[in-house]
Amino acid sequence: MLRTTLAGLRLHKRRLFTTALAIVLGIMFVTGTLVFSDTLRADFSRQVMGSAGKIDVIVTATGVAKAGPDPDEEPTGEPGASDVETVAALRDLPEIESVQGVLEGPAPLLDRDGRAVGYIPTLGMSVGGEVSRYEAFEGRLPTADNEVALDTGSANDNDFGVGDTVEVLDPQGEPRSFTVVGLIDLGIQGSVSQRGAVAFTPERAQEMVELPAGSGYTRIYVMGAEGVPVHQLQEEVAAATGEAAQVQTGQEVGETLAERAGAELEIMRSGLLLFAAVAMFVAAIVIYNTFAILIAQRQREMALLRCLGAVRGQLFRGVLVEAVIVGLLSSAVGVLAGIGLGAAGLTFGAELMYPTTGATAGLVVSPLAVLASLGVGTLVTMGAALVPALGATRVAPLAALRAGATLGSEKGVGWLRIVAAVALFGICGAMVALAVGGDPSPRNLTLIVAAGVTCFLGVVLLSPLLVRGFVWLISGPMRSSGVPGRLAADNAGRTPKRAATAMIALTVGAGLITAFSVFSASVQSSLDEQLDDRMPVDYQIMRQLGTTAEEQRQGVPPAVAAELRQTPELDKVYSLHEADAHVAEQPQMRVSALTGGDLTEIVEETTSGDLADFTDQTTVLSQPMAEMLGVEVGDQVDIGTEQQRPYEVVAVTSETEALAPIVVAYSDFTEQFADTGRIQLVAVAKAEGIETTQARDVVDAAVADYPTLGVQSAAELKQQYTDMFNVMFLVVAALLSMAILIAIFGIANTMALSVLERTRESALLRAVGLSRAQLRWMLSLEAVIVSVLGALTGIAVGIVFGWITGRAVLEEVSLVLPGWQIAGFVAAAVLAGLVAAVLPSRRAARASITAALASE
Amino acid sequence: MSETMAHQAAPQTDAPPAVVAQGLTKVYDTGATAVRALDGVDVAFARGAFTAIMGPSGSGKSTLMHCLAGLDTATSGSVHMGRTDITGLKDRELTLLRRDRIGFIFQSFNLLPMLTAQQNIVLPAEIARRKVEPKRFERIVEVVGLHDRLDHLPVKLSGGEQQRVAVARALLNDPEVVYADEPTGNLDSRSGAEVLGFLRDSARELEQTVIMVTHDPMAAAYADRVVFLRDGRLVDEVGTPTAELVLDRLVKLEG
Repeated sequence: MLRTTLAGLRLHKRRLFTTALAIVLGIMFVTGTLVFSDTLRADFSRQVMGSAGKIDVIVTATGVAKAGPDPDEEPTGEPGASDVETVAALRDLPEIESVQGVLEGPAPLLDRDGRAVGYIPTLGMSVGGEVSRYEAFEGRLPTADNEVALDTGSANDNDFGVGDTVEVLDPQGEPRSFTVVGLIDLGIQGSVSQRGAVAFTPERAQEMVELPAGSGYTRIYVMGAEGVPVHQLQEEVAAATGEAAQVQTGQEVGETLAERAGAELEIMRSGLLLFAAVAMFVAAIVIYNTFAILIAQRQREMALLRCLGAVRGQLFRGVLVEAVIVGLLSSAVGVLAGIGLGAAGLTFGAELMYPTTGATAGLVVSPLAVLASLGVGTLVTMGAALVPALGATRVAPLAALRAGATLGSEKGVGWLRIVAAVALFGICGAMVALAVGGDPSPRNLTLIVAAGVTCFLGVVLLSPLLVRGFVWLISGPMRSSGVPGRLAADNAGRTPKRAATAMIALTVGAGLITAFSVFSASVQSSLDEQLDDRMPVDYQIMRQLGTTAEEQRQGVPPAVAAELRQTPELDKVYSLHEADAHVAEQPQMRVSALTGGDLTEIVEETTSGDLADFTDQTTVLSQPMAEMLGVEVGDQVDIGTEQQRPYEVVAVTSETEALAPIVVAYSDFTEQFADTGRIQLVAVAKAEGIETTQARDVVDAAVADYPTLGVQSAAELKQQYTDMFNVMFLVVAALLSMAILIAIFGIANTMALSVLERTRESALLRAVGLSRAQLRWMLSLEAVIVSVLGALTGIAVGIVFGWITGRAVLEEVSLVLPGWQIAGFVAAAVLAGLVAAVLPSRRAARASITAALASE
Repeated sequence: MSETMAHQAAPQTDAPPAVVAQGLTKVYDTGATAVRALDGVDVAFARGAFTAIMGPSGSGKSTLMHCLAGLDTATSGSVHMGRTDITGLKDRELTLLRRDRIGFIFQSFNLLPMLTAQQNIVLPAEIARRKVEPKRFERIVEVVGLHDRLDHLPVKLSGGEQQRVAVARALLNDPEVVYADEPTGNLDSRSGAEVLGFLRDSARELEQTVIMVTHDPMAAAYADRVVFLRDGRLVDEVGTPTAELVLDRLVKLEG
């Protein structure tokens, strides 16, 4: 029996070729992801272990367990624990060879225009000295007062390189010039990669790095004397530094860092594997269809085997063995291709994400990754062939004696199918209602995914009907287009199940990409609307986030607002003042007041109350704030620092309209918060007839002396997230392309098998006068019908689910159809159909008429 | 004997023949050995005549028909259809020739399964974007007796009915030649007789040239003339044949 199977495989290997290709592609994706992430992980571990692991003991200043330069947590300013005295004390210990304290704190790096980079000031840190943890990735570490090293991210983002001169603000806000002598790779630790870092010599760092009051070294690196065991050193250091500091070996710190890097990679890996799973799912559909068709075509062969005495089980096993062999071989090829893909991903992808990693590492191909990929490929193939294999056992021995059994048209679509599909759609609708009805929450997304899968199953059940309906719908126009068009429509509808399975494979990819596209367009347009509501102004001036507490207290200097008010190019200059206050029972709340214009100019909609009532001793709250405080219009709220005053709530603004959560009149604000109040932001609107660029110049001139003030425009902000969404779209499209490619192979394969089955039909058509070109055109049209239907089905489902997802994530979202993108998908589907038909139609057109007529 | 017979097979009537083959040779190169399926066949088919080509299996009778009909290209020699030398035609020209000037009836699988009887009959006309004359369509459908079966798909038709659809399709266009390849091979004798009757009647009444390949003496007896092939050569022929006469010659040939 096995010999028959193998002989059959050899005979049919061409028919299985595209199926094998589908498995190869899917497994290539899986293996590529595993190899890519394993290699990155190994590389990161090696890097952090290399930098931290070579230090014997690391003392961290806070009691909090933390390691690495993490800007999220400023040093708490616990004095005495790791200050200069501690270093001196450590230096006196006989077990210790060398000690180096590290300073860390904000040190804003200026870009080429003289503005502080990013939204958060760059981290200043000391490097070098007695014990150096980092080495220069390029160039060297700073050794003189006028030298700095930049982290690779900051250097890349701002186009700085070794040899350039850069300016960094000192704690007094004065720009200081430095020469860049080297680049340091800090890896992906914490958010340094977003924030950027500037490294000084230990001496210079004391002047340049702004330390929170009372704090000293962030951490201390200790190297033991020769022959002193690390754990003994650790104990000695711990005894010397006391309770407030955490003492870890470099090894421990490195391991923690590697773990954290690993967690970050894990997310990326899961994301990639998700897309790989989609690709494998599509491959499974393709495999299923191929085996189903092959078994239908080999009915007589199977029946003959049954006549010769094969039992059902043998036929069943025969098909499964065939699937396992095909799956295993293709998976093996896929694994090899995947290793190549992983290598390519490291060369190109990692370069984009993590500029300095990857290239240095050797490829990590773990046996687990290889075995998992082989297993997945083989099991998926076998699973997909299971139902067709069962079908093989149902072949009656008598079928061997009947001719042309394969060409009988399929039976009608059963009512059971329709009832089941309707039930599935009902369940799907209920889940969607549940998800959309409630408040936005992550749980909703899970519900929507479940609903999406349910809906897809329903579509699968209905798909043969869809094929018939679609063919019926288009057969009118197709008929009038000539014989090839009419025959193509007829052929597509001849085996609805087969066509349905082929098109469903494409539906998966088309649906997901449309859902994403509709989702992002809808969310984007809603964000635009909200932004327009929130920023009915052209520019906003704010202080860079995370600058020192002192600067935060200053806010935007009043002089900036004053200067802007003098310029004729600007129509409106609003200042939003803010202060910290106790509100009712809540400490640490932000109270705001507006000057330079009326509140009604900025806030248009209220959920209750009337803005016209807003005056002294009254307040306007945002909806969430009113809910949190449990008050309504007409209620009183006590606001103040030491002494609270009662304010009457006159209006509640909707969330999207919220300028600030708590707004009071400026006269009340100055009375209560004269000392602590500051300008949080200045917003300007240009005067009529003034060009945007002109207004921008005026604003830039006003903030020229304050490098840490950031200028935002609504247009730029919109552009920023438009860019972000566009990048996301490209990434999603690229990741889904594998699934779509596999689906196209599936259509090509279905076409090829159908063409093979209809060899005699094609010959007959040629004999009665259909030209080669017409025959090719007929088959191309048939493939286009299948692919376009697949895409349209996906697009329809995708539009619904894209919108639903938007609804579940944002409270107010309007459905936006990205028309051009969707038109693009349909065009791509047409192209896909044409491409899928190239080889099958060429083969059909080339076939000799006489040979085809003579063949069985 | 065979040589002389072949040469005498030239025009029997004064009218120019519909199809003439001269020195027709077809060699199949199977790699190891070259098979001469046709070995210098000279034959002419009179206009308006019903001719049967007979011979044992492997005699080359199907190949001869394929080459005559432009389905296959000859290795050497020529085929003229009317004034057209079809041996030199390109694939596209051959396609047009088949479409516009030839009708086909095959042994089996004559019809496209997804088209109804009527759609199958008018298919060549549709491919050629030719108007179908309703009168002619009506008449031909009448002749083959398919009036109430026109809307049926081929699976719902009996073998004889299917073959009658094929005959109707071949005749509809009023082609110069109708080629029939074992048209009754899959039919019971009554249906076969019907189909052969149509072919004979159309040749006589419509002056339709019909060339039929068959190995059945009963079928050949319907023809006006029978030519015999063996080993790729024309070896004999009979005018106004009967089944006994044909069978007699066949036995001689094989013996």
